[in-house]
Amino acid sequence: MIEINNIHQTFILGKKQNETHLHVLNDVSLSIKEGEIVAITGKSGSGKSTLLNIIGGFMKPTSGTVHIGNTNVTTFSEGEFADYRLQNIGFIFQNFQLIPSMTAFENIELPLVLKGLNEKERKHITEQTLQKVGLLDYKSHYPSELSGGQQQRISIARTLVMEPPIILADEPTGSLDSETEADILYLIKELNQELGITFLIITHDEEVARVATKQIHIHDGRIVKEETIQ
Amino acid sequence: MNLKDQWRFVKSNMRRSKSRIFMTVLATAMSVAFLIVLASVGFGLHSTFIQDLLEDRTVTKIEIAGLEQDGNVQPITDKEIKEIEAIDEVKAVTRQQNLYQTPNYTLDNYSSQNQTVVAHFPSEIEAGLELTEGRLPEGSHEIVVGHHFLNHLAPTDVEVDDLYDENNVIKEKFQYDENLIGKQIEMEVAQYIEGKEQKESITLTITGIVEPPSKGWMEDQKVYTTEEVLNEIESFTNTPRGEIVMPDQSQPASIPKGYDAVYGFADSMDEINNISEILKEQNYLVYSVADEIKNINLVFTIAKIGLIFIGTIAIIIASIGIYNTMTMAVTERTPDIGIMKAIGAHPKKIKQIFLLESSYIGLIGAVIGTAVAYIISILLNITLPIIIESALEEQLPEGFQFSSIPLSLILISVTICLLVTIVSGLKPAKRATQIDVLKAMRREI
Repeated sequence: MIEINNIHQTFILGKKQNETHLHVLNDVSLSIKEGEIVAITGKSGSGKSTLLNIIGGFMKPTSGTVHIGNTNVTTFSEGEFADYRLQNIGFIFQNFQLIPSMTAFENIELPLVLKGLNEKERKHITEQTLQKVGLLDYKSHYPSELSGGQQQRISIARTLVMEPPIILADEPTGSLDSETEADILYLIKELNQELGITFLIITHDEEVARVATKQIHIHDGRIVKEETIQ
Repeated sequence: MNLKDQWRFVKSNMRRSKSRIFMTVLATAMSVAFLIVLASVGFGLHSTFIQDLLEDRTVTKIEIAGLEQDGNVQPITDKEIKEIEAIDEVKAVTRQQNLYQTPNYTLDNYSSQNQTVVAHFPSEIEAGLELTEGRLPEGSHEIVVGHHFLNHLAPTDVEVDDLYDENNVIKEKFQYDENLIGKQIEMEVAQYIEGKEQKESITLTITGIVEPPSKGWMEDQKVYTTEEVLNEIESFTNTPRGEIVMPDQSQPASIPKGYDAVYGFADSMDEINNISEILKEQNYLVYSVADEIKNINLVFTIAKIGLIFIGTIAIIIASIGIYNTMTMAVTERTPDIGIMKAIGAHPKKIKQIFLLESSYIGLIGAVIGTAVAYIISILLNITLPIIIESALEEQLPEGFQFSSIPLSLILISVTICLLVTIVSGLKPAKRATQIDVLKAMRREI
């Protein structure tokens, strides 16, 4: 499903005379199968978020390739990646990333609007998804009127409307209390089992890593441990 | 993402910064109104000039003053008339010869002295000479008279001092009050023969009265006669055009053969332009109102372009406001743009949304500006003549229009406004597409 081959990521810091090279990822190779929940763990600054950003197309690697299916996405332009993301990759962010001026309904509807679906189809899909995440009654609420857990559910719903085969999650429960965290993890597990969505979750939380079918530990930009959980 | 959805985004975004958008639209509207009102003065004065020009002359007429040959100007003769008539678009060529003396006309016991011209009536008919009364001459001794001929007929038995009123017009009671049509009139021409003045009388019949000149202040008291009458006069005076040779003159002045006034006629102004070009190529000296209109149009077009250019500067100044508003909008919405890009919004779509917003500001500004300009234009046309007339104590020409807003001016102004606003929105829109998703979502921009 996702093939990561010899990824290197180096950031140049400082001005020309005093520039330093920061090697964030060193020769990272990884293979993720369809339907897996992969948890990437590691300390802050280990390079796990950089890896997610490269897979998601927010960053170009210094070298190496990322294949999703048979497509080498590292050659994509910004526009091409945007189109590809819209069809194939969903995101769940730690701080939800909802547009504050839009209602829950409008936030969820947004990817469908970008995709060009008509109003009737959008309404149907959005309400169905709101029902799925248990927030249909909150469809007219603005993000500021929702709790953290509810906002994360809206964020997941926004991802789900596109029915993406892959969801990349960056600390999805990082801003939530333990009870809400359990709800969200349950939802992820459910979506994986029911819809076969492949999840790639960045976390430093052991609880989150526990729902994964594969755990990868990164340290100083290198994969130091890869473990499949039965 | 279709246009309707983009439009929904724009409206929702604009609602978030109402007062800023309002001020920007206001500035744009003011600049558009300024452009239109400024240029409308050029359009107004242009149409006034053209209207004034067309009032006294016809645009389908061309004056042919002569033919240039070897650096000399020759009068037009029958040979040239035939050449001119052979041009496809020429409808008629009228030609007139002036009589070189002013005969005395007597009708019953009334008389007057009138300038007399020999007209070629068949061509005058083709050219569309209009009469207010009667018909054109058919016989050799028939004439038509100018519209004001009657005003100069004075009774012979009244003293000159009693004849005229304070305006130097024949008093009403002394004016000839009968219909002139069908009346026989005596034309008296003179010549000195062997040192003594001799007179010859020719009886003519008035068959028609020519339409008055287009301008109220112009007078036409001429007598239009035929070639046969001219021949009769010439055989009496023994000089061309009936010129009087004074006793102390040894011989008459040499009068060039040809016509004194030749006019070509066509059906439209375009045809006149073509005829004018052809005749100019053949060394004819020509002049037409169409030529004058062409020159006036050129001058006013340059003036209007200048005024539109000055007005455009106002719109460019307003566009700084639009640029600022759009830059602020991009800055404020950076996190939202980041989220949209993360979800999969193509940079092109984001650019379109911002361009749509700047165009909308421009369009609303243009619509309001146009409406305001119309109001100002109407007020100008009402108040300015009153102010000018009271200040200068002079009557402005009839139909004077200080400001005129044709549809073309609206289209030009709206197009300029839209272009300028789109251009001013381009850079902020491009900036929006270049926003780094990660930085935007971390609120680092």
